[in-house]
Amino acid sequence: MRRIIFICILLPVLSGWAAERLSPRIDKLIVAKAGGSVATRSDDSEFFRRVKLDLTGRIPSATDTRSFLQDTTSSKRAKLIDRLIASDAFATHWTDRLSVMLLERQKLGKITDEEWREFLAKNLKGKPRWDVLAQEMVGATGQGDERPAMKFLGTADHHAMTEDVARLFLGMDLKCAKCHDHPSVNEWKQAHYWGLFSYLNQTKHATNSKDKQTYLVEGVAMKKVDFQSVFKTEKEITGPRLPGGKEVAIPMFAKGQEFEKPAADGLPGVPKFRPRELLARDLTSKNNTYFVRNGVNRIWYLMMGRGLVHPLDELHTQNPSSHPKLMELLMREFVAHEFDVKWFVREIALSESYQRSSRLPNGVKKIEVTRYRTAHPKAMTPEQLLKAVLKATGNEAWVTKLKATDNAEKFDRRGYFTGTNHEVPTSFEEIRALFMLTYAEPAGTPEVDFIPGLNKALFLMNDRLIQDWLKPQKGNLIERLTKLETPKSIAEEMYLSMLARLPEVDEVATVANYLERNNKRRAAALGDLAWALLTSTEFRLNH
Amino acid sequence: MNHIPHNHACGNTEHGVSRRQMLGTLGGAVGFGSLLQPGIAAEIKKQHKQVCLIWLDGGMSQYESWHPLPESKFGGPFRSIKTSIPGVHFSELVPETAKIAHKISVIRTMETKDPNHSTGVPRIQRGDPIDRGVTYPHLGSAVAKLLGPANPNLPPYLWIKPGNGGFIAKEAGFLGAQYGTLALGDGKPPIHIHRPDGVSAEVEAARNALRLKANERFKAYRGASEIDAYETSYAMARQLMARKEIFDDSKMDPKDKERYGTHPLGRHILQARRLLEAGVRFIKVNSYHWDTHGDNFNMSQRLIPQLDRPFAALINDLEDRGMLDHTLVIVMSEFGRTPIINSRLGRDHWPDCWSIALAGCGIKRGAIIGETTKDGAFVNSEGYDIGHLFHTIFTLLGLNPRKTRYRIKGQKLAIAHDDCEPIKEVMQ
Repeated sequence: MRRIIFICILLPVLSGWAAERLSPRIDKLIVAKAGGSVATRSDDSEFFRRVKLDLTGRIPSATDTRSFLQDTTSSKRAKLIDRLIASDAFATHWTDRLSVMLLERQKLGKITDEEWREFLAKNLKGKPRWDVLAQEMVGATGQGDERPAMKFLGTADHHAMTEDVARLFLGMDLKCAKCHDHPSVNEWKQAHYWGLFSYLNQTKHATNSKDKQTYLVEGVAMKKVDFQSVFKTEKEITGPRLPGGKEVAIPMFAKGQEFEKPAADGLPGVPKFRPRELLARDLTSKNNTYFVRNGVNRIWYLMMGRGLVHPLDELHTQNPSSHPKLMELLMREFVAHEFDVKWFVREIALSESYQRSSRLPNGVKKIEVTRYRTAHPKAMTPEQLLKAVLKATGNEAWVTKLKATDNAEKFDRRGYFTGTNHEVPTSFEEIRALFMLTYAEPAGTPEVDFIPGLNKALFLMNDRLIQDWLKPQKGNLIERLTKLETPKSIAEEMYLSMLARLPEVDEVATVANYLERNNKRRAAALGDLAWALLTSTEFRLNH
Repeated sequence: MNHIPHNHACGNTEHGVSRRQMLGTLGGAVGFGSLLQPGIAAEIKKQHKQVCLIWLDGGMSQYESWHPLPESKFGGPFRSIKTSIPGVHFSELVPETAKIAHKISVIRTMETKDPNHSTGVPRIQRGDPIDRGVTYPHLGSAVAKLLGPANPNLPPYLWIKPGNGGFIAKEAGFLGAQYGTLALGDGKPPIHIHRPDGVSAEVEAARNALRLKANERFKAYRGASEIDAYETSYAMARQLMARKEIFDDSKMDPKDKERYGTHPLGRHILQARRLLEAGVRFIKVNSYHWDTHGDNFNMSQRLIPQLDRPFAALINDLEDRGMLDHTLVIVMSEFGRTPIINSRLGRDHWPDCWSIALAGCGIKRGAIIGETTKDGAFVNSEGYDIGHLFHTIFTLLGLNPRKTRYRIKGQKLAIAHDDCEPIKEVMQ
């Protein structure tokens, strides 16, 4: 008995969660810098929609919203968060988010999208560790189960790899430092760029003659990299070096002694000194504060809509964190919890700072976005938007099943937008492509902040797919609504399905009034009402 | 060990701009705040300058247009004719422009670098600035960014072209996709500008009223700038929908159609005039297939009059409407054509000495600039690179290309080649 008690006391201490929970400490530090009153806690509808979107990428169904609203358990939010994080939908949605963040929709290298997504999803279904993910991507060889991780390094272009590693894993947009010290960020030096570069400049693709697969291999590093600022006349040299770290000495081997394994099957010999492998290890070390800070900042951004340091790729002292103490705390805890992404996401979701209403506090007209006094509205990602449009209008079930027939001609996408192609796409894949063409940024461009656009507005307003989905058919929302009698029941079903909340009294009145005025075209009028919600700001934003 | 490009400075990409500005030109609102140095922005706002770039893709022969030399060994079969400027001759293929030569300027000593189409088109349209490792915007996107929309209800940069249209982001370079162009394929606007079939004007108005009501409620309790930005994009979409008649070919005066010509280039230049009248800041009109490697003379005889008539008509119309003083019209290509006539009776690519035509917005009237060697093959006075032309264009638009800078993430990027100057001889 005594032993059991002893274990009960000690276990939490040993496993690290005896320490004070993180979420209340987040809240304390946020409130301390709020500089005024903060918004009330979100109501259940607002919270439910937000957390579903953030954790699973999907708006809730009317049924789910109703049951969440009716649930009187006091711990229902925490339970929901745990359930969502454990769901497959979490893995799918965070695969979208991490994929867009890390690849920026570029289709590079030999790994297919499917293989890459499977790799991420497998991680996200288990216990995803930010450091391990990064290590697998940066150190990828193409061997073993982590083979798809090599997609991150794309075509193994040395400069692209240098810039991507710096920007996405260190929060340093070092592009400018290729040719000279950064002109406005004093601490970003040209030596940082070339130090990273010389970890990567031996890497190339090679094809195995037996299995015909492409792998990432390293050549033999013989000497340091020299570089020269365009503003200076003298050359400088550097070996592999991380920002803030020590230069790695390049060992010299006697001729013939450079290799650990000889060349085989068309692949070159494996050198004893493999700088990229060292980079993967040291970059992702818990002692690399740049790496830890960037990881914290990016996950915080994904949940809160804004980085503690923003823009995300300008992590330097001239662009300090909005909450330095909080940043320190989060970095410490993230390391203590072994870079556990799910743990961190959960703690953020449990915080009052995350669960605040997006409505302004009473009497407050304007707030600074850096203060987190309200929830910051996030634009739905293109992926979220497509799913939300289909789900809200009740067309998801049949539309996502649409498959291209084998002999289908290639759909003329450009013609679809210019009016020379009058067809409607017949596969979900094509429909998805049209959405991405409209709402996604061009490949290679980060998607961080909300960029509305004329074409994006016009698409939701006038696209013929959207019009079609707002006609009663195949058990969709409008068909369901046509079977309801009272304006109240119609309004409730519509608002719950589309906005995940019950309508206010005056909104019910608006519905009643509109249906009354359009009683000769009832189904069409229901479509109009749904169209107005679909194109509304409330729908478009994850608020 | 590693090759280091000798850039004078380098720029950082694009997203810094979009991040801070929320909305680009395709979105509706254009802020000056983060991009331009204070003071300049206010100055620009007061001015109302517009641009029409007529782009002859592939390259028009200078010998068969603005610089005929029938007596020289390279002259070709066409005669030269007198123009409205005493002592100045154009090719007989441009009789209409010859009548209004006193309203335009011609630079006969363009001396550019790139003899390849694939690299030459973007190089020229970006003004060939010093390489800073970033992708510069094409002229239209640059003007859209630097000046914003002239009419806040219309996109600042439209591109009229044969073939397909749509929203084309890539011209914007580091400015970010929202400074791309709305391309009117064969003059037609994107399909989504049209009210869907089966939605009447009344229904459209009614359902937008419902949308606005919903937005009003949502916004009442919230302060985020995303909300305004999103609503603005709809407001602009509706304004464009309401103005879609400006794209409607059938609404054009038949007499105008006759004067401009019924071929695509004529129709498109006429449409450009209407869009300029509507207040679009920058319009590019593209014509393709000017690459006369074979059969140059028959092709020129067919093609060049298709430019001549509508170009002259445009200049006259802009003047009649009092618009020429603030509207810059540019006729150019990625290069000229070789003096030597090849074995297929064609002329090849020739960046070394070629001609462009300019009018309006502070361009001199009736100035013919530049001396060439007798046979027109080489520049014999000062040669002008595309950077000089960009300095000229920006200066005429009220910008100071020596001082105005793109500001991206705290970095300043020159808007035109650092080592070039405006072409003073062509400016009033």
